[in-house]
Amino acid sequence: MILVNYLAAVALLCIGLYAVLTKRNMIKMVMGLSLMEAATYLFMISLAYRAGSTAPVLLSPPPGKSAGDLVHGNVADPVLQNFCLTAVVIGVAVTAVFLSVVVRIAQHYRTLDSDKVRKMRG
Amino acid sequence: MTEAALTSLLPLPVAIPLAGAVTAPLLARLSARLPVIVSVAALTASAAVLLLAAPWVFGGRVIAGYLGHWTPVSGHVLGIAFAADPFGLLLALATAIIGVVLLLYSLSELGGLGPRELGGYACLFQLLLAAVIGAALTADLFNLFVWFEVAALSSYGLAGFFLERPMALEAAFKILVLTTLASFAVFIGAGLLYAETGALNFAQLHDSLARHLTTPDTVALGLLVAGFATKAGLVPFHGWLPDVHTTAPGPVNALFAGPMDGLGILAIGRIVFQVYPAGSTPVLGLLMTFGLVSALLGAIMALAQDDLKRLLAYDTISQVGIIVVGLSASNPAGVAGATYHLVNHALFKALLFLAAGAIVHRTGVTKLSEMGGLARHMPVITAAFLLGAVSIAGLPPFNGYVSLSLIHQGLEQNHDAAAYWLTLAAQVITIAALGRAAWLAFFRRRAGDYEWREQLRPGMLAGLGSLGACCIAFGVAGPALLRTLMAPAAAGLLQPGRYAAGVLSGSARLVTLHITFDYFSPAELVSVAASIVIAAVLGWRYLRIREPRVIGALRALHTGSANDYAAYAIAGTLVAIAVVSLA
Amino acid sequence: MRPVSGTVGQAEPVSGTVGQAEPPRVRAEAAEQEPGHRRWAGAILAAGMAVALAAAMISIPREHAALPAVARYALAVALPRWGLTEPVNEIVYGTRGFDTFGETFLLLAAVISVVMITRSREARRGYFGESQAGQREQAQADPVVETGATERAARAAEHREQGGHAPGDPAEPDTPDATALGTPAPETADAMTVVVRTAIRIALPVLAVAGLYLVAWGYSPGGGFPGGAVLVGVLLLVYAGFGRRRISRIVRPALLESIELAGAGAIIMTELLGLLLRGSFSANWLPLAAPRTILSGGIAQLFSASELIEVGTGLAIAVFALIGMGHDWAPDERAGADDPGGER
Repeated sequence: MILVNYLAAVALLCIGLYAVLTKRNMIKMVMGLSLMEAATYLFMISLAYRAGSTAPVLLSPPPGKSAGDLVHGNVADPVLQNFCLTAVVIGVAVTAVFLSVVVRIAQHYRTLDSDKVRKMRG
Repeated sequence: MTEAALTSLLPLPVAIPLAGAVTAPLLARLSARLPVIVSVAALTASAAVLLLAAPWVFGGRVIAGYLGHWTPVSGHVLGIAFAADPFGLLLALATAIIGVVLLLYSLSELGGLGPRELGGYACLFQLLLAAVIGAALTADLFNLFVWFEVAALSSYGLAGFFLERPMALEAAFKILVLTTLASFAVFIGAGLLYAETGALNFAQLHDSLARHLTTPDTVALGLLVAGFATKAGLVPFHGWLPDVHTTAPGPVNALFAGPMDGLGILAIGRIVFQVYPAGSTPVLGLLMTFGLVSALLGAIMALAQDDLKRLLAYDTISQVGIIVVGLSASNPAGVAGATYHLVNHALFKALLFLAAGAIVHRTGVTKLSEMGGLARHMPVITAAFLLGAVSIAGLPPFNGYVSLSLIHQGLEQNHDAAAYWLTLAAQVITIAALGRAAWLAFFRRRAGDYEWREQLRPGMLAGLGSLGACCIAFGVAGPALLRTLMAPAAAGLLQPGRYAAGVLSGSARLVTLHITFDYFSPAELVSVAASIVIAAVLGWRYLRIREPRVIGALRALHTGSANDYAAYAIAGTLVAIAVVSLA
Repeated sequence: MRPVSGTVGQAEPVSGTVGQAEPPRVRAEAAEQEPGHRRWAGAILAAGMAVALAAAMISIPREHAALPAVARYALAVALPRWGLTEPVNEIVYGTRGFDTFGETFLLLAAVISVVMITRSREARRGYFGESQAGQREQAQADPVVETGATERAARAAEHREQGGHAPGDPAEPDTPDATALGTPAPETADAMTVVVRTAIRIALPVLAVAGLYLVAWGYSPGGGFPGGAVLVGVLLLVYAGFGRRRISRIVRPALLESIELAGAGAIIMTELLGLLLRGSFSANWLPLAAPRTILSGGIAQLFSASELIEVGTGLAIAVFALIGMGHDWAPDERAGADDPGGER
């Protein structure tokens, strides 16, 4: 049942969200956002799944089928895999920038506590 | 030039600044200022290509081309469509032209930076401008998401630019957290829409959603609106905006306030007007509420600020709220007024931020309580600031008067008295805030002299002068611009069926909207005069009294913690989803 | 250097320089009690989000739904129009290549942002008011009155890490293999033990070829992005196993940046030539080779190879910029702050 995957993705997303909303340590906030990213990957790939399907690869089809059969047959969705690839790259890029900002903050303020790094208020 | 050739040229205004961005770090090794000069050339070329399409599109047409010749197959679209409708083309042109002005200004003011710094600055600046132009011209939901992300990543680098100010890193952290949450919202929303409809193209989505909307469709609408509202800076998604603007360089402030907020508003306009069927969800009421709250909260917080750039940032939130109020009126006057105000906001906010940035750059003083007497030392900057302030105030003949009157006209046509008076109240408080800032910074006497004062350079004069001239021109030529630019833009938004037909078939005509605008309507003139008088009294009183408790409570809500701002944004997302799905 | 005590997690105050009142830094960070109001607010908001999303998830099509028409179309054009047996590659680099085009510049923006945030100071001309404001704000944020022994030791260690020499250091061996037996390995060695180094020497060519293979045969699953990631992994393996000096000839910012920008420029040219030669941006202008050959796929292969260059070098720049980041961007200019390695 792919619904289990969808709900698992939602659960992971909300656990990550809880970490972002609650934790003061900046590294924990970054980890929460990474968890949310992973949840979106799970969601996209689960959306692409079809029951009893083969992978959308026309190279060396399973025995008894030709490439033409696969094109019209039971295949998983390749467009969503494009989405997921883009999301993975975005995740890597954002995490890199995030961590460099966090390290600089640690150098300047000598703390990783976001409640101590709040000179701008009000 | 044939229409087909024109549509095939549409990706060029995006590719040229990207090429400029690629060469920027390499050119920086030759000479520090060379990347910025090349970027000016690139953005000018971009604007030239967009101007080629302008006569066709602003005559009331939507033209579309498919990249790689992947045209629709029986209503299903796999390829990516680039469509120029008047609304998108207007934002793209405004972005390109304002980008040229800001880059020329950067050449003067920031020309003394080291080569690697300036190369990186030019690269990120061009990437952000290219992303906004790409988002304005695309007709594909996933492509819009990709350009939104490119703009976001460029903004992170530009936000944390001046590393010697520790607060810049704090601001970079907050914009990272909030914009990443927004990008997840947009991504999941796009995925839900694709799962429900199998469509990525705006026209195909419009046709698929014309039937009854299901729960995933409405949840996706809530998520998309929340995600793009974060980019635009609407309350309660606005936590990053004041902090980022406090520490960024002046031209970057102008870039964020004009083109980048425009990207958020454009995306909201496309989703709400051109994709989802009109009247199927209470999303317009939701946007009206967000807009009014933003307008009032931004104005009130601006009144209470000590840091000049932070004051202008809260004013940006207020103006974005007013633009969204105009959009939610969803009649020709309101939408045309909102579009006009978007362009005007880019102009006068750029003027104000450049003036404020010049003050910080020249004197090293950021707080209003430490400034004073600048009118004597820096007359040009004083003039620029005052010009921007009267434009926001809505004084004729400056540009703010035309766009605000149009928005008021739109609200009156809907018989929405509450929104009208609240918008007027926000305007009064805004005028008071800017008046107080101008008094404290320029006219009040200062105890001692400043540590250091620099002279104004020609590039900066050119930049401030051209923006000021545009503010005056857009005000004086108001009715003409309304007829030629803003009415077609409103037509594009309010006629989604024709937009969808245009995207699918490659070309469509829009029905011309005739918006009557009385430049000297007595009601407007009286309300402007009354606003200025009340604002003057309010500003004068506020200089003398202690901070009221209401304002103190609002300031306490802005705790400065990324966790709390993220909580407000998630609460706003839940409100959006609930309102759109349950009603 | 103080000898490391046997128990982990117990910080001892620096002897002599600090009074009894200051608690050890480690212990202050470890006790993290989140504010009460934030915990229940976070729980309620996360639960609300879960309910909203679950309501949507229950209604979307599941595994028995038909494939969307656009996905069928993508499968149908893969062989005849692109000659590719890999529809995902055809979508990513071909039919919806403009999305990947945007994504390339997304990664470029991220790499340039990381380079800007981790940059070291450069000479500037003219007066910058922001520096004055920054100095005032920094004095408030970080009011260290004098550098204590801990800070001096930390700065000396960082200076040594960057390749400098503090007085009293033994001479550095030329290669990791020449390190004498019995030297205190973890703290002062440049590289890992001989077992790890030998394993890396064997695994390295295999991994490098695997990365290139992922890109070269575009008609099988793979592509520029995973290929680039594998090549960055190879670089990191050499860095971790052999130390900084072995990698410093290749990982030079100027060289890597030039290669990365050349890759990005090649991608722009690939898409632009579609406009010049075939009348539409990102159209295929290369003749289609036979399926299941290395050149099949037209510009999809070219795009994928350029993407490998751009992603590989870009990620390498980002990672090594983070590793090599200097300690402090604006070092103490006050008297009494001796600073062997604070500014590069």
